[in-house]
Order: sequence, then structure tokens, then C-alpha cells
Amino acid sequence: MENSGYSLSAPQNYPEIIPSLIDYIGSKRVAGFDSIEANNNVSDHSQEAGYQPSLTDGGSEVPISQNDASQTIKSQHSVSISMPSSPVGALLQSPKRVLFSDKNETIPANEALHTSAQSETASSQQPKTKYYSQPMPRGSANPEVVIDGACLHHFRERLRNPRMDRLKDKRFDPFKTWSGRLERQISNLRGKPQEEPEANVSQSTEIEALPVDRYFDALEGPELDTLRASEEIVLPEDKQWPFLLRFPISSFGICLGISSQAIMWKTLATSPSTDFLHISLTVNLVLWCISLVLTAIVSLTYILKVILYFEAVRREYYHPIRVNFFFAPWIVLLFLALGVPPSVAKNLHASLWYILMTPIFCLELKIYGQWMSGGQRRLSKVANPSNHLSIVGNFVGALLGASMGLKEAPIFFFAVGLAHYTVLFVTLYQRLPTNETLPKELHPVFFLFVAAPSVASMAWAKIQGSFDHGSRISYFIALFLYFSLAVRINFFRGFRFSLAWWAYTFPMTGASIATIKYTNEITNPVTQSLSVILCSVAMLTVTALLITTCIHAFVLQNLFPNDIAIAISDKRPKSQRKWFHLRTGSSDTRDIENYLKFAFPDSKDNEASPKAQVPDDEALGPNNGHNV
Amino acid sequence: MEAHNASPTQQIRIAVKVETSPTTTEPVNNVVVAEQHLISQILIQFHAGYFRIGLSLCCQALLWKTLREGEDQGDIALFTTGTLSVVYLLRCLLHFEMVKAEFLDHIGVNYLFAPWISWLLLLQSSPFLSPKTFHYLILWWVFTVPILALDVKIYGQWFTKGKRFLSMVANPTSQLSVIGNLAGSSAAAQMGWKEAALFLFSLGMAHYLVLFITLYQRLSGSSSIPTMLRPVSFLFIAAPSMASLAWDSISGTFDISSKMLFFLSLFLFLSLVSRPTLFKKSMRRYSVAWWAYSFPLSVLALASTRYAQEVKGGVAHGIMLGLSALSVFVSLVLMLFTALNTNMLFPGSTSPSPYNSGSIE
Repeated sequence: MENSGYSLSAPQNYPEIIPSLIDYIGSKRVAGFDSIEANNNVSDHSQEAGYQPSLTDGGSEVPISQNDASQTIKSQHSVSISMPSSPVGALLQSPKRVLFSDKNETIPANEALHTSAQSETASSQQPKTKYYSQPMPRGSANPEVVIDGACLHHFRERLRNPRMDRLKDKRFDPFKTWSGRLERQISNLRGKPQEEPEANVSQSTEIEALPVDRYFDALEGPELDTLRASEEIVLPEDKQWPFLLRFPISSFGICLGISSQAIMWKTLATSPSTDFLHISLTVNLVLWCISLVLTAIVSLTYILKVILYFEAVRREYYHPIRVNFFFAPWIVLLFLALGVPPSVAKNLHASLWYILMTPIFCLELKIYGQWMSGGQRRLSKVANPSNHLSIVGNFVGALLGASMGLKEAPIFFFAVGLAHYTVLFVTLYQRLPTNETLPKELHPVFFLFVAAPSVASMAWAKIQGSFDHGSRISYFIALFLYFSLAVRINFFRGFRFSLAWWAYTFPMTGASIATIKYTNEITNPVTQSLSVILCSVAMLTVTALLITTCIHAFVLQNLFPNDIAIAISDKRPKSQRKWFHLRTGSSDTRDIENYLKFAFPDSKDNEASPKAQVPDDEALGPNNGHNV
Repeated sequence: MEAHNASPTQQIRIAVKVETSPTTTEPVNNVVVAEQHLISQILIQFHAGYFRIGLSLCCQALLWKTLREGEDQGDIALFTTGTLSVVYLLRCLLHFEMVKAEFLDHIGVNYLFAPWISWLLLLQSSPFLSPKTFHYLILWWVFTVPILALDVKIYGQWFTKGKRFLSMVANPTSQLSVIGNLAGSSAAAQMGWKEAALFLFSLGMAHYLVLFITLYQRLSGSSSIPTMLRPVSFLFIAAPSMASLAWDSISGTFDISSKMLFFLSLFLFLSLVSRPTLFKKSMRRYSVAWWAYSFPLSVLALASTRYAQEVKGGVAHGIMLGLSALSVFVSLVLMLFTALNTNMLFPGSTSPSPYNSGSIE
């Protein structure tokens, strides 16, 4: 460890406050190590060797109570790593050390102060010592100069303004567009008082695109949004991030859910086979207007996010599951066009269709090409049920185009969608061992399986003119998948609610609409009752989801939690390589075993761990165990 | 000196750079003194991959025939394919063990389909033989039986043999087997043999489905194809177009299934063309692999021609003209490059063996 750093003289250009801090940290250093070891075995909420210095008295130790053991371990490690008391000092010592073993580590001085300042002001919060990782620019030429300036500047600012204004919180800068320069430009334009010119604009240069492996290593869960215990994130965890940073692209799922409901009620009202229900078109009108408003709100918010926090949007794009949601806005627009009430517009112009399909086409070219050309984002590695969102757009576009009377272009999209759907379907059914993203348990995301065949059947019926054999085959496949998921409903348990669940309701609605279309063709009591049942189920699900959403929004106030998935660091924390290598579903015995293995590491033990972390797909060789 | 390391059972080959070209009309036997030496050198280095040239030219011939609705431009194609076939026949006779080695290589084996495809395409584009004649029939059998034999061997291996599972050996050139079946099918349909055509079509399509999915999954990553052979990815375009043409011949009109196959092919073309970085490395130096660009483009242009003839719209005609022009342009450019780089046609000591350029990875 970089233990030599702390013992050097305090940097002269820092105010006096620092030396006491340094001394305090130094005196507790050994204790920190001991307590980490103890905590590993005990794994309780032990008192952290308080790295919570305060400005006033360098000796008080604020006990940190962690919420769970993993947090303890995590923060322990973050504490132990950020040993060098003064980055500037470490810099003077050896420039390489600045990067603290070449990963995103902290600048303890200012952050510690920041923490203490924060804990003073927010007493209701759980004060935790978090050393916030700041992303280091890769390959930056003069890291030491950069850090120096950053520390200095931050420190000065903190001293001047201990009450932090969240908008001016520099920690979120790397996620802002052009690292916050755009925001400053906007403030300049609005005539706000100019802040101190950043001496270190280069500090928050663009982070390179994260390789997909990082997402798999750092996250877990069916939606890949839960941080693994061994990982750290580059943004503060205990603080609520700016709203835009917490606004994921999966929020478009709400629009998907509601607009598909609008289509369903329109179909119910206009189909001859459901005339006996006497549904009026008003429901469709109301729902359509609601979905229009919702879409506008969500789109505007996300556009703001793109403008102001482009880096966060980029990270979402590179997330193997969230990337599929980039199709969602266009699918929503297609749904809106499909569900437009007859009182609003009778016939839509064909050029609208071309406008709506162009973004889908471009996205497709990119994403399907990634699947095919291999590399880190090849399909056998990233296939997951959310990929259905990438495929369904083709079928929805074909359906809309055929409804508008276009002839050739809907067939084009149908063909492309069908070919790629076959590939995806087979891949998901195979559950390849190289596939890391498939949830092991049932999860609402599996309902997306129903989406593609049901919409494809409707599209084919529109293209051919009648609900013929091809449509029926597709519809029956959708029905079968629906039932095989519905009978397993009791296995859908124990999942954290997320906004993406809205996206999983539109397949149910799609299946109901397909059933209505089928009933139009084959009208008898069985099909009619089936359509009524499926429509009611869809409606109930959406209502339940609406209530849950409202509860989370207004009562629990956690509808938009911190979006951990975009804030993963781009390198595995070094200490984890030493102490653990947790993969999915680590067991306690494995933890202890690994701990004992690395309990007394050599000083140069780091090379042992990378070897041990052979990714699954490479470990099995090129055939990945298919020679059975 | 080069070491040919396709598999552990390979032998070491010593190859010497030879200055010659198969497409020139200069007969090799002008060289009096070292005639036999030269011939054997050519035979040693000639591999089935050279049939790419034949494939492309034959397909061009067919394209021209379709475009002009009758007139034939197949002279060069006929000559080239004839020459290539003769050379390969000699190689079979004199260096059979090398042919065998090629057969065992997971990329080379697919190019064994290439001569038969070329001949079948030539047959279809031939002005002399009408599809109803007896000679056409005989020739069709002559060309299709080897394809069927290869099918049985290779497809059987895919799901039975221990070492050559599909998941291991699948690579874009495997689509050549599918294209072979489809070419036979379309030729048979022209003869009026609907059942045989349907048989070959279903055989081809069933295996195409499996192959398409396997290739898209990229189970083994992009390591199964050497970088120099990246142009063969264009075969992704060729297979659906060929299927579209075959179904067109079988059903009589360019109906919706043919259209869907054509659109799929068009999409894959756009997808590959928008990724030029994939091919950058292989374009640095001329190699006979470059001819892999030409055949798929020609097949796509053919399909677009049939599509435009069926749909008769402005957009369809535009697509047809664009694709045809592109395929002709590419073929001409390739012929030019081949003429300029005749010494590169038979790579000598400086370049590795044709299927294992992965060493330059």
C-alpha cells in the first residue's frame, strides 16, 4: 500500500487545517487495517476506524453505522485505499502514485472535508465516510498537475462555501455534457455571476466508452441495475443525485404501457367481434391524450438529460440492457400513431411513417451489426429478453405502414424483424452458458417474449389483408408463451419495482389486441371470452402498476432512485482483486475461502488475482462446452 | 518457405513465388524449359478459393443476361471458369493430398462448392442451351450430384462428427454450401423439375436457418475467420438473395417470400457497407480474397433486377440500377487489380497460406 505517502511533510500550499487531518489519518492507519480484517470475518456493523475527520477537532471519531455488511466492506476498502494523506504530497513523491494504483480513486483531502461538512449539515442522513471516486482521464498527460489543480480548487471552494449547492457540485461534472462546460456556458449566457475559472478543465475529460464486460462485472440482477458488493461507483451513493441523472431511459416504458392501452381500447371499440361490450371511443380518446402528454413530458425530460448530461446518456447506451430502451421512444410514437382516435385524425400521411422509421432503421443497423460482427457485444454474450424491444419496433412499423396503405416498405421491415427475431428467439431459448445477462429466476422482463409474435401476427394480417395461416401460427406462438408464463405467475416474486416494468405490460396488451383481431376472423364464444379475459388482465395489470407507481412516487418518494447502473467505475477496485473475486452469487464459504487465500498477500500479489478472473466464456474455450 | 499450419495433421509446404496469371490468354506452356516445374508450382498453390473469380464472373454473366433479357456476355466467364476448372482438375490428379488437406480445412471445404456453383450459373446464363434440352439436363445432373455428395458429407458432419461440430466450424464461407443447393434448385426449376427444385430448396433453407442463427450468435467470437478473409462476410448477402431467386424460379413470380428474402439481403448489405472498419485490415494488400466482394453483389443485383421487374416502381428501378452499377464496377475494379497484381495471385514465400492468414491477426 502506499503508506509512505502519508508520512511526508504537509504540502506548504495547503492551509493549516490539513496537517491535523494527516496526523489523524496516520495515527489510525494500522487500526484501519486491523478493523478491516476483523470485519471480514465478523461481518457485522462494526465501528469503522473512523475516517471521518472533522474540521474542528482532529481527534473525534464518528461511528459510522452501515446498513449492511457489504456496505461496510465496501467502505472499509475505500477507506483503506485512500491512504495517502495528501494527494499533492503523494504527487511530489511520485507522480505515478497520483492515480492511486491507476484507478479511479479519491482525493481524500477535500472529500473528507466535504463529507464532514455534509454530515454537519445533514444530520438526518446516515453519515458515512465515502471517498468518492473521481474518474481519472485515461491517458491524460499530466495527471499530477491536474489533480493538484483539482484539489486546490475544490479545497478552496469548500472552505469558502461549506454549504453545498447541489447544482454546483463538481462531482457530477464528468457526467455533464462536455464535463459541465455547457452548463457554465448557459449560466454565462444567463448572466449569472461567474464562478472561478476552472483551473483543471481537463480533469473531467470524456470517459472512454466502458467495455461491456465492465457492466457485467459490476452489475447484477435481471435488469443489470444492482451493484455487486465488490464494486464501487464513481458518484456519491448517500446523496440523491440530480434528477436528470436519476432519470433512466426505461422511463419511456410508462409511455409504452399507456399508449398500448389506448390502442387496445380503440380496438375494443371498433372491432365487430367485441361490439357486444359496447365500449365507447371516449376511453381511447382519454387514454390517448394522457399518453400524448406523458410522452411529451418524458421526451422533454430526456432531451434535457441528453443536452445537459450527455455522458450519462452515453453510459446508458453502452449498458447491455438499457441500449434496447433506446428504441422505446420511437416505438411509443408508432403506438401513438396506431392508436390515434378517429376523431383526431382519420388518415395519417405516409411521410410521417418514413420519418418515424428512420431512427429505428439507423439504430437497427448499428445494433444488429454489433450482434453479428462479434467482439464484446456479440449476441451470444449479451442476449437478454430486453433485446425483444429492438425487434418489436420492426413489426410495429410494419403494422403501421400496412395500415397506412404502404406496400413494400412494411414488408422490408417485417422481413428484417423476422430474421433477427428467429436468431434472438433461438439464442434466448438456448440459455447459452456464455450468456451472462439472463436472469436465473423468472422476472417480468420475460413477458417481452410475448411481444414480438403477437405484433408480428397483426402486422402480417395487415400486410396480407386477412388473418391467414402465417398470422395464426405467429399468434398461437404468442398465446402459448403467454400461458406458459402466466401459469408460473407465482414464481414472479421478490423483485424490486422499477420503471422498466411498465415496458413489460405492453406485450400483454399486444396479445389482447391480437386476440381481438383473431376473434374478428373466427368469431365464437371461446375466442370472444378469451379476448375479454386477456383485455381485462391487461387492464388490471396496468392499473396495479399505476397504483404502485403512484405509491412509489408520492408516498415512498423513491420512484427515481440513484441510477447505479450508469455510475460504475471503469476499472475493478484494486482491493477487490486482492481480497475477493466475487462473481455472481458468491457464497459465504467462497468469501472466506478467498479471504484466507489472500489473507497474507505478498506485496506484489496483484498479479495473482487478474489471472484468477478468467471470464467464463474464455475459460471454456471456443466451443464453450457444446461438444456434448 | 512457409509453414501451413491449418491443423496438427498438416504437412509443411514449401511454396515459391510464381509469376503467372490464370486469366491471361498466355498459355503457360510457352515457357519451354521449366514447363513442368512451373505447372506443378501453380498446382501446388492453386486452391479452391480461386474459384471466387469464376463465381463472380459467372454471376456477372447471368446478371447481364437478365438485365438485357437474352443477350449473353458469358465469354470471359466461360473461359475463366473453364481454365480454373482445368487447373483444379490437374491439381486433383497430381496433388491429391493437397486437395484432401483442403477438404479437411473448415474454410477450404466450402470452396469446393464453388466450381459447381459457377458451372450451374453458367448453365443458367448460357445462350446455347435452352433449359428444355437434353444437354441441359445432363449437365445439370453432372453439376448437381457433386453438390449433393458434398452436402451429405458436410451437413452430416455438422451434427454427428466429434471434431467438426457446426458451432466450431461455422464461418461465413459455410454459406457457400447453402448457395450451392439454392443454385441447383433454381437451375432445376428452370428446367421444369419442380420437385427436385423444391427438394434442393428446402435442404438449403433448413441448413441456412441453422447456419444463420449460429453465425449471428458468434459463439466463438470473431476469431474463426482470419482477418484477411473478412471479405467473405459478404456471403451473408449472397445467401438470401440466392434463396430469393430460387423461390422466384420455383413459384413463378417474385412473390412475398422472395421479396422478404431480398429485403433481408438488402438490409445485410447496408449493414455491412456501413461498417468499413471491418474490412480495413484486409484491404491493405491485394489478395484473391478480394474477389469475395464481387459475387454477393452480383447476386444481390440479380435479385433486385427480378424485384424491379415485378414491382415496376421508381424506387425499385433505382435500387436495381444502383446495385447493378455497383456490382459491375466492383467486378471491373477487381479485374483491373488482378491484372496489375498478377504476381500476387500466387502468393509466394512472403505471404502465409490462404486459409490461415490469421497469423496476421
